[in-house]
Amino acid sequence: MIFVGSARTGLWPRALAAFAYALPVIVIALPLFSFLSYSFFRVDNGEIVRDLGLFNYRRFFTDAIFIPVLLQTCILCLAVAGLATLIGYPVAFQLANLKGRRRYFLLLLVLVPLLMSYIIKIYAIRSILGGNGFLNRFLLWAGFITQPSSLFVFNLNAVLLTLTILLIPFAILPIFLSLERIPKSLIEASNDLGATNLQTFRWIVLPLSLPGIVTASTFVFVLAIGDFLTPQMVGGQSGFTFGRIIYSQFGTAFNWPFGSALAAILTFVIVIVIGLGNRLERRWL
Amino acid sequence: MTMNINRRTALGLALAAPAILRSSRAFAAKELRIMAWQGYADDDWVKEFQEQTGSTAKVVFIGTDDEIWAKIKGSEGKDFDVFAVNTAQLQRYIDGKLTTPHDLAKLPNQKDVLPRFRDLSKVKGVIRDGKVHAIPFCFDSIGLIYDKDKVNPAPDSFEILWDPKYQGKILAYDNGEHNFSFTALTLGIEDPFHLTDEQLTKIKDKLIKLKQNILSFYTTPDEALQLYKNNDVALIWANYGQQQVKAMKDAGANIEYVNPKEGALAWLDTWAMTSGVQDFDLAEAWVNFLLQKKIGQQLSERTGFGNTVVETGSASANDKLVWLDFVEDPTKRSDLWNEIKAQP
Repeated sequence: MIFVGSARTGLWPRALAAFAYALPVIVIALPLFSFLSYSFFRVDNGEIVRDLGLFNYRRFFTDAIFIPVLLQTCILCLAVAGLATLIGYPVAFQLANLKGRRRYFLLLLVLVPLLMSYIIKIYAIRSILGGNGFLNRFLLWAGFITQPSSLFVFNLNAVLLTLTILLIPFAILPIFLSLERIPKSLIEASNDLGATNLQTFRWIVLPLSLPGIVTASTFVFVLAIGDFLTPQMVGGQSGFTFGRIIYSQFGTAFNWPFGSALAAILTFVIVIVIGLGNRLERRWL
Repeated sequence: MTMNINRRTALGLALAAPAILRSSRAFAAKELRIMAWQGYADDDWVKEFQEQTGSTAKVVFIGTDDEIWAKIKGSEGKDFDVFAVNTAQLQRYIDGKLTTPHDLAKLPNQKDVLPRFRDLSKVKGVIRDGKVHAIPFCFDSIGLIYDKDKVNPAPDSFEILWDPKYQGKILAYDNGEHNFSFTALTLGIEDPFHLTDEQLTKIKDKLIKLKQNILSFYTTPDEALQLYKNNDVALIWANYGQQQVKAMKDAGANIEYVNPKEGALAWLDTWAMTSGVQDFDLAEAWVNFLLQKKIGQQLSERTGFGNTVVETGSASANDKLVWLDFVEDPTKRSDLWNEIKAQP
């Protein structure tokens, strides 16, 4: 594309192409292959034994805790993805309808939280939701409750809420981009033909922004499912997710092979969810 | 003969200069790579040590035992020279040949430590096959912090953590090994570090009940303090002992600390040298430097930990301390702990 004619077959473009192919292989494929191969090893007395076998995968299916935790984690993260997309869509819609520089300035404001440290944000949210936190004090003052409520913190509700708050910017951006790309002429044509704003939205804007919705949900789902910090910090005694099991294998358990197997299984689940998302998108369009 | 410095020569010299300078500096600059907990390698000590020995010291701070294992085992002992490790975890490193034995002749200050730590053969875990793999540095117990306004009368045993009266008002440290060990002590088991499968199952059931009684887990002292300030918390089992007590009292909390009567787990931190230590003498100089009475005094003043050279009030004379030991199967305890946490 950039190089035309005789310049296309020179040394320089070939080297560039080779580099472009090599980079993802070295930086992405090789690490993936490395941890995939680890998943077939096992651990004996704190040493990693390199004989291949499916023991780790077998253990995932036979031990009683792994599948229920994985299912619970998936359901939680689908809820997070749904909630974040639901909240993110109106925001993105408003942003896309603004004119000129205001639009990008406000978009920047929406994305500013991403510049903050992840852990600091969780600390802040945990303080707000806590027994003496802002939320409880407001509810007490407003008279909705007579005692501080533990409904919002140290349980799975808190994990859901916190993950949603943290990941909303990731939902807003793809939806905004897909809304921005809808040609104004289509909307104008729809209005000219007599459609109300609601009809235009339902039949023109929504279907055309579907790729953005799917991307947003997928982004949020993938980011949420691997998270082990949020469940640990706000989940209390019931915030145990699949990410935390994987994390624990790389600590005192020092069971890297098993952790790699669990990570491989998680990757597989994510790939399936992304595939389903694509299928859904194609069916609706 | 006068040298005609033309542009080529000047360029050549400029390019060669860093290499020449670096090789001459290599003989003079000694570097010590330290891995430590916060409070074990304070800036002023490091500065004084660097000035005394003419070396540079690079300190990496870690927050959990897991981190130390991941970094030292992960690099097979090559990324650091000297690291702080407790006597329980130390066994894994000796087993994995990740340590270098000390030479007591290079540690004259070790002769003046407190009587309890003078005979190293009495300190469980530091000697293996007649060689000293680690030098005791500081210790503390794992006791119970209770809010004086919320808990009356004063508790004397960890059994209170299972009291339904304090449901949702308890903080617990997130680590399988200690939870199993102190629960074993409350059940009257003599050796909490070598449990049979039957004992492990019994303790697991008791720990599920504990889990259902707590508000949340914590991993660092700051986190425990933040959780205490933002929620109604009455009891904390204090993995970080005096360090937590000091932080909470400084923040104005009306709390008190007690070592349980069934025996308080107590950790003893030591300095060990890695198998990949680059400058043996420099590493020994660091350990010897830290064994000075003034450093020990400052350590205790700043962190509240007990040190090995000067008497402090970390534990009273009547307290029963159970020195931590390597557990029978850390992977199994970790897996069981996951199962406990996975229970609804």
